[in-house]
Amino acid sequence: MLQKSLAQLFGSLLGLVLLVTVSTRAQNAAPKPADREMERVQAMISEAKKEAEQFSKSGGQAVDANNPNRKWAETLWSYRRKHPGTPATTLATTEALRLLVRADRVSEMQAKADTLKLTDAAWKQVITVLLGAAIRKKDYTYFISKAETLAQNSIDPELKAKARFVIGEGYWRKGDIDQARIAFQTVVTQYPKTSYGEEAEGNLREIEFLNVGQPAPLFERATIDGDPFSLGSLRGQIVVLKFWGTY
Amino acid sequence: MGEAPLLKELYAQYKDQGVTVVGISLDEDIKPVQEMVISKGMSWSQVLDADKKIRKLFNVKGTPTYYLLDRDGKIAAKDIPFKKLSDAISELLKK
Repeated sequence: MLQKSLAQLFGSLLGLVLLVTVSTRAQNAAPKPADREMERVQAMISEAKKEAEQFSKSGGQAVDANNPNRKWAETLWSYRRKHPGTPATTLATTEALRLLVRADRVSEMQAKADTLKLTDAAWKQVITVLLGAAIRKKDYTYFISKAETLAQNSIDPELKAKARFVIGEGYWRKGDIDQARIAFQTVVTQYPKTSYGEEAEGNLREIEFLNVGQPAPLFERATIDGDPFSLGSLRGQIVVLKFWGTY
Repeated sequence: MGEAPLLKELYAQYKDQGVTVVGISLDEDIKPVQEMVISKGMSWSQVLDADKKIRKLFNVKGTPTYYLLDRDGKIAAKDIPFKKLSDAISELLKK
């Protein structure tokens, strides 16, 4: 009796495993529609990149009307209009805005960014695009007002943390160290133990202790050959520190 | 990484004038670092920052990142692009 039901249980488990295997195979064979959409948008982005490279090699300037980035920004933006609310749309939105910045169409980019609702999933990336545009144009007004709105009013805690963090970066790039410090301090206090919290802490240390003219932090440890090494022992020499990786 | 041969030239050019290079690898394993140091002939000091302490001290966000220190151990330049390094070193040597 017990043996029989065990055999049945085993049989049905086997069946389940087979079923799962078969359906996984089926998924692998035919990509899900969402993946196909993602691939479609990625294909547009790499085509845009290729055309932009050719354009710039042949002497084209960012502001030129025939900069392919303009055309591709339109294409990606109309993709957004036709397919609202998917991950592929988020990517298309971000790239459309990024390409407009590359084509030096910052006010057009801002007008489009203004149409995004506060809850749009693209904001997490778009806010970085806005920072890039601000740095490029050395005008942080629009970026800071948008990021401030997100930091205060978004309901997504990760976006709030990121927005506050990039506000700090924006002020730092702008040279407004006091405001940068306030923003990073807020991130550390309000979002401790997140990656933004940790990065903000690093930036605060850099702002205080890693300026040109300040003594470099000292460290000691064995070299990869096992010899003792101390940075302090190099006093009297000019030192190039290179942080690198084999990867 | 791609700059290793250029850094090697720079090191050869300046090492007899009191300039040294310290490589801080952000790798987790020592082996690939040792192999690359040998294969590229990087003869300056190399340490491994597997515990991430040194990169935190210098708030390093990516690779490659260069810091230039003067003879007093003070920061002369941070996050300086490789192509500006040689000029910055010559400036320091004049002091």
